[in-house]
Order: sequence, then C-alpha cells, then structure tokens
Amino acid sequence: MRKSSIVAAAICLTAAAGCNSFLDAPKAVADPNAPTQASTNQLFVGTLSNTFGNYEGPVAMLICQWMQQCAGVNGRFVETQAIYTIDAGTFDIPFQNIFNGGGLIGLRAVEAQVASDRLYLGVAEVLEAMNIMFAADVWGDIPYSEAVGSNTTPKFDPQMQVYASLLTLLDKAIADLAAGGTGPGAADLVYGGNATKWSEAAHTLKARIYLHQVEKLGNAQYTSALTEARKGISSPANDWKTAHSSNTSERNMWAQFAQTSFGPDLVAGSTLVNLMKAQNDPRIGSYYQKNSAGAYVGYDVSTGGPDVATISALVTNPTAPQPIITYDETQLIIAEAAFQTSDRTSAATAFNLVRTRAGKPTIAAAALTLADIMNEKYITLFENPEVWNDYKRTCLPALKAARGRSRIPGRIYYGQTEEQTNSNTPTTASQNLFTFRNPNDPNACQ
Amino acid sequence: MALSFRRIVASIGIALLLPVVAHAQESATISGHVTGEGGIALSGVAVSIPELGLGGITRDDGSYTVAVPSARVNRQAVTVTARRVGYKPKSARVTINPGTLTQDFVLEANPLQLGEVVVTGAGTSTEVEKLGNVRNSVSPELLVKSNEANVVQALAGKAPNVQIAQSSGDPGAGSKITIRGLRTINGDVEPLFIIDGVPMNNSTFSTTNFNPIDAGSTTGVGGQDVGGQLEGTSAPNKMMDLNPADIESVEILKGAAAAAIYGARAANGVILVTTKRGRSGQTRYSLRSSGTNDEVTKTYPLQRKYGQGQRGVAAPITRSWGQELTGDTFDHAKEAFDTGHQLDNTLSVSGGNERTTFYLSGNYNKNQGVFVGPNNYFDRATARLNASHHLTEGLTVGGNFSFADTRGHMTQRGNNVNGLLLGLFRTPPNFNNFPWLDPKTGLHRSYMVPDATLETAGQTRVFNNPLFTLNEELNDQKGNRAFGNINAEYIANTWLKFNYTLGADYAQDERLEGCPAECSDVAVTGRITEGRITDYQLDHNLTGTANWHLNANVAGTVTLGQNLNARNYRTFSVVGRGLIATQPFSIINTLARDPASDYQTEIHNESYFGQATLDLYNQLFLTGALRNDGSTTFGRENRRSLFPKASAAWTFTNAYKPSVLTFGKLRVSYGEAGQEPQPYLTSPTFSGTNLVGGISQGTGFTPTQSGLGGLFTSFTKPASSLKPERTKELEGGFDIGFWGEKADFSATWYRSKTNDVILVLSVAPSTGYSSEAKNGGVFSNSGTELSLNLRPITKTNYSWDLGLGWGRNKSNVDTLSGAQFLLTDNGLLKTVAQQGFPLGVIRSLGWVRCGISPNDAISGVDLAKVCAGAPKGALYLSDGSNDECGDAGMPCVDNTERVIADPNPRWTGNAHTTIRYKKFELSGLVDIKKGGDVWNGTRGALLSYGTHKDTEIRAKCTGAATSTCTGNEHAMGDADFYPQPVVGPGKGVKFPVGENWYRNSGLAACPFTGIDDPCIEDGGYVKLREISLGYTFDQPWVARSLGMSSVELRVAGRNLKTWTKYTGLDPETTVGGSTSRVGGTDYFNLPLTRSFVVTVSLNR
Repeated sequence: MRKSSIVAAAICLTAAAGCNSFLDAPKAVADPNAPTQASTNQLFVGTLSNTFGNYEGPVAMLICQWMQQCAGVNGRFVETQAIYTIDAGTFDIPFQNIFNGGGLIGLRAVEAQVASDRLYLGVAEVLEAMNIMFAADVWGDIPYSEAVGSNTTPKFDPQMQVYASLLTLLDKAIADLAAGGTGPGAADLVYGGNATKWSEAAHTLKARIYLHQVEKLGNAQYTSALTEARKGISSPANDWKTAHSSNTSERNMWAQFAQTSFGPDLVAGSTLVNLMKAQNDPRIGSYYQKNSAGAYVGYDVSTGGPDVATISALVTNPTAPQPIITYDETQLIIAEAAFQTSDRTSAATAFNLVRTRAGKPTIAAAALTLADIMNEKYITLFENPEVWNDYKRTCLPALKAARGRSRIPGRIYYGQTEEQTNSNTPTTASQNLFTFRNPNDPNACQ
Repeated sequence: MALSFRRIVASIGIALLLPVVAHAQESATISGHVTGEGGIALSGVAVSIPELGLGGITRDDGSYTVAVPSARVNRQAVTVTARRVGYKPKSARVTINPGTLTQDFVLEANPLQLGEVVVTGAGTSTEVEKLGNVRNSVSPELLVKSNEANVVQALAGKAPNVQIAQSSGDPGAGSKITIRGLRTINGDVEPLFIIDGVPMNNSTFSTTNFNPIDAGSTTGVGGQDVGGQLEGTSAPNKMMDLNPADIESVEILKGAAAAAIYGARAANGVILVTTKRGRSGQTRYSLRSSGTNDEVTKTYPLQRKYGQGQRGVAAPITRSWGQELTGDTFDHAKEAFDTGHQLDNTLSVSGGNERTTFYLSGNYNKNQGVFVGPNNYFDRATARLNASHHLTEGLTVGGNFSFADTRGHMTQRGNNVNGLLLGLFRTPPNFNNFPWLDPKTGLHRSYMVPDATLETAGQTRVFNNPLFTLNEELNDQKGNRAFGNINAEYIANTWLKFNYTLGADYAQDERLEGCPAECSDVAVTGRITEGRITDYQLDHNLTGTANWHLNANVAGTVTLGQNLNARNYRTFSVVGRGLIATQPFSIINTLARDPASDYQTEIHNESYFGQATLDLYNQLFLTGALRNDGSTTFGRENRRSLFPKASAAWTFTNAYKPSVLTFGKLRVSYGEAGQEPQPYLTSPTFSGTNLVGGISQGTGFTPTQSGLGGLFTSFTKPASSLKPERTKELEGGFDIGFWGEKADFSATWYRSKTNDVILVLSVAPSTGYSSEAKNGGVFSNSGTELSLNLRPITKTNYSWDLGLGWGRNKSNVDTLSGAQFLLTDNGLLKTVAQQGFPLGVIRSLGWVRCGISPNDAISGVDLAKVCAGAPKGALYLSDGSNDECGDAGMPCVDNTERVIADPNPRWTGNAHTTIRYKKFELSGLVDIKKGGDVWNGTRGALLSYGTHKDTEIRAKCTGAATSTCTGNEHAMGDADFYPQPVVGPGKGVKFPVGENWYRNSGLAACPFTGIDDPCIEDGGYVKLREISLGYTFDQPWVARSLGMSSVELRVAGRNLKTWTKYTGLDPETTVGGSTSRVGGTDYFNLPLTRSFVVTVSLNR
C-alpha cells in the first residue's frame, strides 16, 4: 500500500487511468485484523480449547450445582441457577460452542484437512464424539446429521440416533487411530498425539454412551459398556485431562470464576461434603476449603442453609488440569456394569481399585451395593458433568430438590438463538424443564 | 462579528478577473465609510464589486478602500455591495472613473438574516432565503457564552431536535449528539462533523475496550471489541480538540434532505463548522479569561441509622441491614466530592491587509474536577493559525492549521467494583472510609476488609474504598491532534471558479490505566491497561462552480465536485496483570500479560457530486444535487451508490405580501443519504480471541491454549454483499417574519425512512455460524420542529428578545427482517430495536400488570377477569399462594419478557432570552426534555444494600421470610409506597417492608432480580442550562487608560437548577456514556456538575 495513496489517487484521476486502485486498497478490502488462512494445527488447538470450555464451562458449573457438589449463594446468577431459575438465553453460548468456532465447524475443517493423515483424523473424530455426546446428554435431540452444512435450518436428530451415530463414529476413530499417520503431535495438549491413549479414551467414551442408553434400551447395554470399559483408559497416567496455563484466558475456567468478584457465590454443596465427611474421604481437602470455624460445611439448597457467611469456598488452581475421562471413571463403569450384570466380584475388584487409590478402605464383594459404587463415582467425578448422567440413570446419590422445587431438572433448554432461527427447534414451552425428560431418561428420580 | 471573505465571494457567486491588458490609464480607488443605525462605525463589512471580482473589508473605524487596476477602469457603471452578518446588504451603482470615488453605506439590522450567506456543504453555499431546508445555525457568541470547553456540549438547547447528552461531570467526559432520532443500530448515530470543509473525527473510545476479558465484552460489528460501556472511565468525544472560541459559525444540516450532498456518510446529518479568519486592517488582540467553580448537581440520599450486617445484627457482609447505630456515622453521600475549578484562557491575534489575512489563537483550559484528590482533571491546550493570501488576481491560497494537546486523568465509574460510586454508596454508614490505606501495612482497606493486615495482601476488597479509587488508581489519557487544510480558490472568469481543499486530521490518543494490588475483583493482583488509538484521515475535495444570469428573472449555478477520502484507524493495547513492584504503572512492571490486541481499519471513499440551482423571478429557488459514492466498505457488487436530492424554496411574499407578513417562504426538500457498513463485514476470517464464554464476565477461553496458537472460524458468517444504509427524507415547512421584523416563526415537518439498515441477524448456531450481517432493516422517523423568535423591544439603549424552540421526533422500527428484536447497545439492559416500537426501547421482565401481561401470566389466575375495570398497567397483587408471586400483598413476576421503557423523549424544547440595557446584558437558556424513561438501577441496588435513605425506616427481620419481620408495614399502591393503581386479592394487604422485601423477595432490587419495571422512572427535565450577566466597558476612558478598545465582564451560571421527577443523580446521565446509542441506563455513573463562571474579555 502506497503511503500517499490519496495523492496518488488524485493524480491518477487527472490522468484518467488506473483509478480503481483507490477502492481496491488491500487493507481496505480484506480485514487486516484477523487471519484469512488457518493451519490445521491452529484450528485443532482451537477445537481442543473449545472442548475444554464445554466441559469446564457454564453447563458444567450448573451441573455441579444441580448435583449438589457445589451450591450457588448470594442471590446472584449462580444462586438463581442453583434453584433452577433459568431460561433459553442462559444456554445460548453453550449451545453455540457445540457447533460454532472451535466446535463442530472447526472439527469438520480439521477433518477435511487431515483426511489422508488417519491418526490425526481419528483424534479429531474422538473430539467430535466427545462434544456431540456432551450436547446429546444435556439437550437430548440435537441437530447433527444436517448440522454445519448447507441447510440453514438443520433438523433435530433423535437423541438415541445421535448416540448410535457416535458409536459408529468412535469405531471409525479407533480404526483410524490404529492406521497410523503423523498426527497432531505437540499440538495435542492432552495426549501429545499418542494413538494408544486416544484409542483407550475412545473405548471409555463408548462405554459411557452405552451407559447413557441403559435406561431406555435395557441392561444389554451394560454388557456392551463392560466390554468397552475393559478396553478403556488403562492407567491414571492415560487420563484425558484439560491443559491450562496461567495466562488470563487460558486458565482453568473454575479458577477463572473463583477469581472474579462472583467467585464467593459458588460454594461447597452439602450433599458431597456430607458424603465425604461420612466416609472420611481424604480427598475432601483437595476439593474444599475449611470455613472460618475450621470445618467443612456445605450449603444445602433444599433448606437454604447454613448461613451464607459461614460457607467455605471451592479450591481452585489456575493451571490445574480438569479430569474429563479418567481411569477411575473407567473402573467405576466396570464396577457398575459388572454389578448390574450380577458379576459382584469384578465389580468389587474395579470398585476397590478406585477406593484404594483414594486412600479409603475396601468393601468386600458380598457387602457391595450399587449405592456404594455410585456414591464413590459421585465423589470421584468432582465437577465432572458425567455425574448428572449417572444420577438420571440411577437416582444416586439421593438428592433433595432445591427449596420450593419438587424435582431436579433432567435437561436444559436449547439456546435461544437456535430456538428463534431454526423452526425445527422444539419450543421452550414444549420442553419444560421440570416435565420434559430427554429420550434416554424416561423416568424421573423424584 | 467577523465575516469570512471566502464565504462572501462564494456566496455572491460572481467574480470577474479580466486578463490584464496593458492600457496606459489611471487606476481608480473607491473608498468610504460604513455605519449602522445611529451612526456606529461597522467593522468587518465586506464591500465588493461583483462584476469586477474586487472587494475589501472595513476597518475598525468603518472605512474601506477598493482599488480598481487601471486596466479595468473603463468609465463603466458597476454595483458596489456592502454586506455584514446581522445587517441587510446594501448596494449602490457607481461609475468607475480614474481617481478617487467616495461611496458611504448605512446598513440596517437584519434580524431575519435575509440575504446572508449560508454554507451548505461540499463547497456550496447559498443565501438564507434560497434555502430549501430548515436552517439551524449557532452563533459564536452563543457557543462562547455557554462556557463549555466541549463544542458538542455547547450545542445543548440550541436547536430543535438536536439532542445532546453529557456522559458525566468528570472533566473531559464526552457528550453525545444526535439529530432527529436514530437511524441505525450498528453504525454511528452521530452526525458527520466538517471543519472548514474537511471531515473531522468525533469518535469516543472507552479505555475499557482495551480490556475485553474483564469488561465482559463482545466483539463489535466490524471486529473490534466493545466492552467499555458499563464500566471504565468516561471517555472524551474527539470534537473536544476544537476550541469553541475559534469558531466563526456552526450550521446544522438536519436529516438526509439537507445533508445528501455528503452521500454515504450523512444519514445522521452534518454539522458544518467554519473557523475564524483574520481581516484586513488594524491588528486585533483579544484575551478571554474565565474562571469556573464546579460542584456536583446532586448526590444520593443515604441512610445513616443502620450498620453493616443482616437481620438487625452486625455481620461482615456487603449489605447494611445490621444493628441500629449508636456511635459515629459517616456521610458517604458527600465525602468524595469537592469544588472543582476551571481556568480557561484564549488569546487571539488577527489582522492582515488587502492581500493577506491571518487569525492566530492559543487556548489553555485547565479543569480540575469535583472529586476529592488530585487525580481528576482534564487540561487542554490548543493553537490555531488560519491564513490566506491573494497570490495573484483571481487566485487565493490559504491554510488552516490547528493543534490540540489534551491530558486527562479520569475516574473509574459504572458497573465496576473498582469504580467510584459503586463502593461509595454501598459503604455502610458506620464504616469510616478514611484512611483508605491501613496506617500500619499501607494496604488498601475497604468496608469488606476493614482490617487490612498483611495477611490480606493479594485478597480482593470486594468493592474498592472510594478514596482508594480516587487517590491510588491511575486513569491517564493523553491526546494529540493536528488537523487542518490547505485550500485554494481560483476565479477563472466572470462565471467560473474552482475551489480545492486538501485536509488532514491526525489524532493520537494514549491511554494508561493502573489498578494497584489489592484492587477488587479481577484486578486484585494489580492490573495495567495500556493502549493507543491512532486516527488518520486525508480528504481531497475539488469543486468547480459556474453561474449564469440569463436575464433579470432567471439565474442559476452548477457545481461539480470530486472527493477522495482515506481513513486509517488503529488501536493497539496490552493488559498486564500482577504488579511486580508497586510502581511504576507500566506494562513492563507486570508478571503476566493478556494477548496484545491490535485492531485497524482502512476505509477509502471516492465520490463525485454535482449540484445545480435555478433562481426564478427572485422568488422561486430550485436546487438539485446528485452524489455518487464509492466505498471500500460496500460489497464488491455494490461498490458505488447514488444519492439524489432536490429542494424548492418559494419566497411567496415576493409575489403576494399580506400586510402582516414581512417575509414568507415555503420550502420543500427531498434527499437521500447513507450510512456506510462497518468495514470488513464481507471479509471471511478466522479469529484468535474470545472463543468460549464463561458464566460471568472475566471468564472465558481463547483458542490459544497453553502456549499453542489456536484459531477458530469466525462466529459471524461473512456477508455476501452489503450496500450502505439509505435514509430517504422528505421535509417541508415555512419561515415567516411578521410584525415588521419583530418576530419570526419557522415550522418544519419531516418524514424519513431508512432502508437497508444493516442488521447482524442471528442464524441457527447449528449451521456453524451464529450471525450474519445483512441489509434488512427498515426504520422510520417523523417529526416536527418549531421555532419562534420575538424581538419586542429593539431600542438603541435597551432591547429584549425571546426565542422558543420545540422539536418532536417519533421513531418506529418497521421491520427487522424477521428478527424479534436486536440489541442497539452492548449495555447493562437490553436496549433494543423491536418491530413496531421506537428504536432503543428497553426489554426486560416486569411485574404482572393489567393489560400488559398475558392473561395466564400467573398459573390459575384469569388475569383479565381480575383486571376488569382497572386501568392499563395496574399492578396485580397476590395473596401469596402463587409460585410466580411474592407473599401476600406483593406483586408477581411476569416471565414473558416485554418492552418496559422507552428512553426516547416525547419532545424537547428550549427557551432563551436576552435583555440588554445599555451595556448590561442578561441572558438565559432553559433546556426541556419531556418524557424519556430512565432505568434507575443505582437506586434499585442501594435499596438491596440497605444504604438508600428510603431504607432508613425499615421492618425488623430475624430471618429471610416475610413472616419473620415486624414493623414498617405498607400496602403496595399506597401514596407512600409504590403509588400506582393495584388490583388482585393482595390489594390493600400490608406487609412489613425491610430486608425481606428489598433484599430477599427477589422482586424489588431490579439490578439483581432482572425484574426491571420497578426501576423505571420518568427522565423528563427542565434545566436552567445557562444564565449570564455581562457588562461591556468601551467608553473612551477604556482606551485611554487601559489601551483597550473594550473590556467585557461576565458572570454566568451553568446547569444551576434542574426540575425533574427523577430520583437519581441526573436523568441525563447514562452508564454507557457517549458511546451508548440510546441512553436511559443509570448505574453508578458519575454525577453531573453545575458551574459558576466569571469571565473577563479584553479586546484591543
């Protein structure tokens, strides 16, 4: 771009030649503020960051409150959410993040660019399954088969069909991962492009999906879950955890929130605090802080107490990786699936592996109950949205609804923008939070 | 009043420069005196001989000389005309003979301004009676008398339907100007400013935009982060760089019909400013010096009876619902305010000779604001040199150059825990904010951390101690501005002339904000925000004007022009976190930095325009114009756009003159003007910022993670094609003068339709994008403007005049291309465009009201039945049995979002008067706004916090439930408690009003409940804007003993009194400041000020 373009243009006008260049100045026509090209690795990191956001973001925080691991106080927005006062607008951004930016559109762009690098393709496919499964878990029916295409109003696929598609996608991912390739390498902040680890995570994800189908399709899904979990994450070192740095917008989202002025509004939930205190669980100190009286106290959303001023805050660390799919979860899937298919021995073995790792006494196979397994999973999967899926299926641990409410919601609303722009979206009214349940969850707990 | 030579020549439109032919002949000199009524010598009168293209200007003693070169002395008869603003032009026929001729003139006052010349933009000008549009001009005396350093604020109350809103009383805080309502929701709403023919940037930039992470911002249309509306400091509007004392005239082109000659940038109107020129004769000196005392117009009523705590018991919480106090209490309403001082000095020198003139001025404005401590000030220094020189006969070259240097230190405000008023008004009355630093540890102490021990280092203060905010935070801004032009005028022959202007406007603005460690919230480890805004504009404008006189009855002009405009804009900023050492506030003294932000735009325009006028029988004046704009912001398929205009003015009194009328004119005009799209909406990109939004402001991810660069597909789908928004406006009206020249009245009606409004429409997120920009909106505005000026007494020794202005604008959103509503501002509330409503209404939840809420708003209640016979808007009160409702006697929540308020005024008006007795002059200006809702969130929050005076009388509560409270029982709808019509089973049921209602009910404290209708108040006002009393000494002794030609003394008051029903600080205030399109949102914004001014002007 010539510096004195206006002078040049003035001259050119008198010379009556080449005058169009004034309206074709490159920086005036193409946005100089953002790249018009992106490399595969850049897009891939964007999709990873987006996945971290989905699993640590507002929905995860909401689930933590609804599942009473956390509680919202002080009358501000987290408290209103804690007592289920929400609307479609609350979920606009979480819904967008499934599809936009680093969501499905970003994953599809990566998949298109790495079509010949099957290892990389497999990794992207697992990520796609993670994100779409998350969406199907909380919203039920979602746009998937027609999403991110030419259709301006994609249809909503039935939830069970989405799960089935994801099982197929994960099978393809596992095959692709095994087929080799360059892979994302260091751009993969989770596994460093390790095919084995991704493959194990894919199997645990499959096991999760089978569990999410159980209530609808019956106990046969437990058998499938068991098979997959046994091929799943094989050691704590292979846990799928988010990665964070101390840079402001790369910090763990829970830590980010704790450091805003709203931080004190999110406190310990009484159900988990009481359960851990009853079991003398050594992990309590890494989940919560003691209050000023030196005690672990949780806020009981069903009674609205104890007094807000005495509640301890959640412990958070800006660079803490958040465990999303873990060895412990895999073992507890095995425990539940084995228990439900009458294999108490296998159940106890897997269960006690987790108990021992946590520093708690084991429970003999004969004495083992489903509540033991699900409570242990509830304690272990702290701040993990998966506990809501477990609760919807098993109604464990026993929870009381928030004060003035008769039941804990079984889903969340679609984003308002989708509702307003896509005529296929079921309306908020028809999807009432308290009466409508997702197709995989026909039975309410209360 | 001075009159620019260039304007005169342009207006006369006839100039002659015959080739110099060598004839051995004697030259001629025409000279004489020009006086006004009563024989007073008139200086600055332009005396010209249009046929010869010659002219001169009278000196202080009223004398003039025009020399006619010998070659052109032909013993011919020519017309000599004398003109001066405020006087009727007068002509005389003289015969040019060699030697000296004498021609004196006596000019009559011209209150109707007939024959005076008006600049109409893009190098065109015309006479007042030929204008096809309503004329709104502001004289320099009025600007200076307003005592405003900011020329935009100085326009307040000066013209109907020109609305000015001051963002706050912080020194340097910007003012917003809008004309005839809003016409866009993503573009600029302010008019285009043209200074001496060159566009000048009047942008407002909040430093908080540099910190999108903490400000909870969204990406604005066009890609720049916009987050600064709710917090941060007030921002100056860039027209502040112009010294009002340098202004010669201001013409306001309202609406598209008047402004169409500026094409795609003129939909909001155009403000044409002409700066002062020198004139030939004795060199004149003028020193104007004024001193101002400022104070806040109002502070908040706060209670001083109950301390920090809840349920009547002291507790270390944010609220003041604690015990009844017995010890000392502190007056937080006043402790942060002080008297501010301003000193403004302008020295100007002007003069010249027949060939060269100059105007040189310097101004220093020092403004120490009204908040305690040294850290709130805004100092401005400006210098200007305007000069012109007749190079050869026919060719005049000139240059205007201005420089401004501004240095300000602003105050954090708004929805901001590090802001002034949030902490101040929430402080419990029993907490002493002094000292703000712990004497032992030196750490920040606030009411939430009263004992700032070393252990509290690194912990948030929840809300800053307001004195810490004032004394320890740094909010620095330094602006440098150089703007001006070089110009040339060439009179080619009797009927053709050319004008050329090459203008430039270069502004750099540096911002530095520092919050020390132990600031509240996200700034707890200390935070530095540093950034720079660079704005650079070049403008080339060439016009040629031909004029012709067919005969005495038919004449006309044709102007053709070409304009090139290039604008470069760039911001660069970094936010650093964690101060290493306590000082300095510098980005290098931080532990970690957010990703740097760099945003730039470049816009090129290439335009051609033409205008033709036709004058018929000296009574019908027709104008037609056409502008063709090309812009890089238009989509490729629509690279060029055409904007037409036509107008007719008929001076019917030249055909038929009823005895009562002195003058009468009918006028009608039609024009189209546009608004450019924001740049780069058609350019597809990837983004590197703001990927995932967290649950609250201050949380979120970028796609970059753990040091690995990430990108994502922009959420906004690139637009396939965009064209400018187009406003079509039809305007008609009349101007009449009657009762001799003692009165004039002007009425104007207009109707505009804005098509192709660019809407950022939502698209289904499941398509992969969330929004897309399209030309899809249609808005309309219509209105009436009336002005009446009366001059009942016009004696030499005393006079009285009175002016009234009235304007009404009604806007309507006709269509939004299917969208239910779209946000007009990224504000605290949903300020929206919604089909069928005026632009800028507020949408939110409200209480269940008759005739407004849906019939089934409350489960099991047939609202229509209960409401039968009740007025619309009556409040439904429940018996406490419904989930949607509070306890018995309380209202219910209508969960259907609705339009709850309209911040647009119903009408605005002004009244000004001047009474002169000999050398005394008393003048006043009253500014009126009728209607216009304001959301008083400040009050709502303070009710919840228990610090508002209204909570001083309170029920005693022992628990959260109403049943635990006793005393202070009220029924809603009573005269002293939410007075309004009420219905329902809870009507007349009293309940205890205390902490349970204000804090816990979820119904009363709107900023925290989202139920905003109880916070809506009428924001109408009557303001005594200006009042001043002056005395001019120009007696002979002044010259003898002081060496001055005159000395003027003036005492004045500004914003002395506001009459309003509004209970907050000021209904004019808005938390978005001058960056918000609409206003009407009050949330802990800074107060406005009233001023007392003493001015001395020395003239020589």
